[in-house]
Amino acid sequence: MTGTRTALQARGVRFGYVDPTSSEVLLAIERIDLEIPEGQFVSLVGPSGCGKSTFLKIVNGLLSNHEGEIELLAPKAKGSAHAMVFQDAALFPWYSVLSNVSYGLMCQGMSKKEAQARAMPLIKMVGLAGFESKYPYQLSGGMQQRANLARALTVDPEILLMDEPFAALDAQTRELMQAELLRIWAQARKTVLFITHQIDEAIYLSDRVLVMSARPGRILADIPVDLPRPRELHIKRTPEFVALADRIWELIATQLHAHGQPGA
Amino acid sequence: MSRSLNDASGRRVRPGRLGWFDSHARLLYGLFGIVGFLVFWEFGSRAGIVSEYFFSRPTAIIEAGIVEVQIPRFWVDVQASLTEFIAGYGLAIVLAIPLGLLAGWYRRVQYALDPWLNFLNSLPRIALLPVIVIAVGLGLASKILVAFLGAFFAIIIPTIQGVRTVDRRYLDVATSFGASRRRVFLTVVAPSTVPFIVTGLRLGIARALIGVVTGELYAATVGLGVMIKFASDALQTDRLLFGVLLFTLTGLVGVEGIRRLEKYFQRWRPIKAGANP
Amino acid sequence: MTLGSLARPANRSPLGLLGWRPSERLVFGLIGFVVVLGAWEAASQLKLVKKVVLSSPSLIWDAAITDISSGVIFPHIAVSGTEYVLGLGLALLVGVLLGLSIGLFRRLNYLLDPWLSALYATPTVALVPLIIIIFGIGLEAKVVVVFIESIFVITVSVMAGVRAADAVYHDVAQSFRASGWMRFRTVTLPASTPYLLTGVRLGTGRGIVGVVVAEFLTSNSGIGFYIGLNGSLLQTARVYFGIILLGILGLVLGELVRVVERRFERWRPQIN
Repeated sequence: MTGTRTALQARGVRFGYVDPTSSEVLLAIERIDLEIPEGQFVSLVGPSGCGKSTFLKIVNGLLSNHEGEIELLAPKAKGSAHAMVFQDAALFPWYSVLSNVSYGLMCQGMSKKEAQARAMPLIKMVGLAGFESKYPYQLSGGMQQRANLARALTVDPEILLMDEPFAALDAQTRELMQAELLRIWAQARKTVLFITHQIDEAIYLSDRVLVMSARPGRILADIPVDLPRPRELHIKRTPEFVALADRIWELIATQLHAHGQPGA
Repeated sequence: MSRSLNDASGRRVRPGRLGWFDSHARLLYGLFGIVGFLVFWEFGSRAGIVSEYFFSRPTAIIEAGIVEVQIPRFWVDVQASLTEFIAGYGLAIVLAIPLGLLAGWYRRVQYALDPWLNFLNSLPRIALLPVIVIAVGLGLASKILVAFLGAFFAIIIPTIQGVRTVDRRYLDVATSFGASRRRVFLTVVAPSTVPFIVTGLRLGIARALIGVVTGELYAATVGLGVMIKFASDALQTDRLLFGVLLFTLTGLVGVEGIRRLEKYFQRWRPIKAGANP
Repeated sequence: MTLGSLARPANRSPLGLLGWRPSERLVFGLIGFVVVLGAWEAASQLKLVKKVVLSSPSLIWDAAITDISSGVIFPHIAVSGTEYVLGLGLALLVGVLLGLSIGLFRRLNYLLDPWLSALYATPTVALVPLIIIIFGIGLEAKVVVVFIESIFVITVSVMAGVRAADAVYHDVAQSFRASGWMRFRTVTLPASTPYLLTGVRLGTGRGIVGVVVAEFLTSNSGIGFYIGLNGSLLQTARVYFGIILLGILGLVLGELVRVVERRFERWRPQIN
């Protein structure tokens, strides 16, 4: 479903900061150029500390002071340019699921009643119907991530930014959530930029996998994933999938060795 | 519940096989502790093992209490002490919470206040009593002020700390949804500061009570502290301890009130493992 | 940061002693300190406040110099210091032992819990008149007051510390068949040390309150007496001088405990 418009364009993005303890300059991102067409699911993989989360924060506007340009699609009348699905869910523990999911809309100045009415279908869509009034601590890790996803989808973003959302989940839940994400993505039709350090997760979900170098980060390879959709979980055991995974692992392993890190 | 299954001496307590005695051990021992001590006190005193002159005995304290509550002057004392406590503590809450939130929210305000807060907090503010008496006299106002000074710092310091330690992730979430500063404050900073404020409120009760008691012992004409002082001058330890008991009860009621408040404000928290009601 | 700002460390002070952040803290801290002090002095000079109530920084300074150079203040410091050291020392000894016992022995905890809760809610200064009846008006009474004021926070902190040792570490020790003493020394003690030190810090503060209250109510020497006497003589500057002495004592002791805390907390990651 790749459209003709460009959802995200990054040109010459570069980012560094001063380490507060050693007061040395650390270059986190050397240079990132990328272009994501509307509707595409793109993953960014790389060794930990390579600046992939930093890049996502820059796109999301949580970090400024970067060099280079970021262009995003203008939001629809009642929508938002981007929305973030946070690592560790980061649901406000003091609010119910419903209040958490409608938070983004309330931030746009919508009344509580209307925001909650608009949040309900999304809560259903992510499979949390009946859990609206629960507090986050009453949900499992997977359910928290569902709420996290719904919260981002309510603001109808042009691009969904996902920051290793399944990293803290156990292996089984993680697989299930990957399949769930694809189901929801097929319904919601969003452009997605997905950060992960898990190669099979990136391939399984994406139309394209971008491999990043070790710090300071830059993009090493842009690998299209031509596996047919819809994808079942057992696609991970097909030779095509395994070959892709091996190729990406090679790229990352070279990076780790080059930087003297023991195998991750 | 894992902690309660493994007591501090590392001994495993098997779940599922707990008899009635085991499951009520806390209550039974507690009761035994109270009753045992009171019985020892009472009969020790009667038998002359415990000095009745110094420590009185439980029944004598109750008798003194019964006599006391029939005297109109007693109720005037109660009213005075309660007024001082409630006014001082209330004033501290009303001022310390907003100021603490403000000081925590604006980093530079905090930096500017820090030296004074640190210094005043490490000061025994009770020592200001003589000056306070000079300033506002021997009336209720001086005790209100002392109670206020005690509670104010107990509340404002955790409040500031609470605002300063708001989880970065939650701030990021709010920012990423374009929340206004006002909304960030109301939806993230305020709720996550509540536990700290409650801690301050709990500490504040004790501090305010200390202020009231000391103020009344030092310089007052009316109040339960004055009653304690008169009782001590007359060597009536039963009446004296009855007065102390009233302060204990006030403290217990206050702490329980805060606990309920905490429970209400913290519905979103999991019930702590092993916590006893 | 833009790349322009990446070059910044090179432009920093060559000694590199002051980063931007601490200096901002310092600058605003100093501003706050000086502004309040200045306002206080000005208000007093312009007679906006009664000198007998708020005194003024310069008057307090004069009083301090007078009483230090005449030596008047030193006997008071010695008396209060003795009461404080004895009372706090005793409270530490008994409080730590009691806290460890209550923390280690579940049944003792159950037995004493109601009494601890009641004492927690009692403003123990209310007991000072009784203590005077029992111990008289000499040194003992003050030591007992300091003891009673400070022992409670120490005991409760130590008790909490013993229970703070995560059950999993006990399991580790047990799986290596560590003896009871070994478990105590390698798990319980390290885990409870931070709590103990918090208790000590709180105890030092409470102890100072104890000294002051006891000396207010019955004494003929000590800093509390000095403050009370000068209060009744309307020598407000001296009252403030006494209070500042106590404040300095509180700060110094607090800082001392914090130094020890840092020594014992090396294994803990720094939270930034």
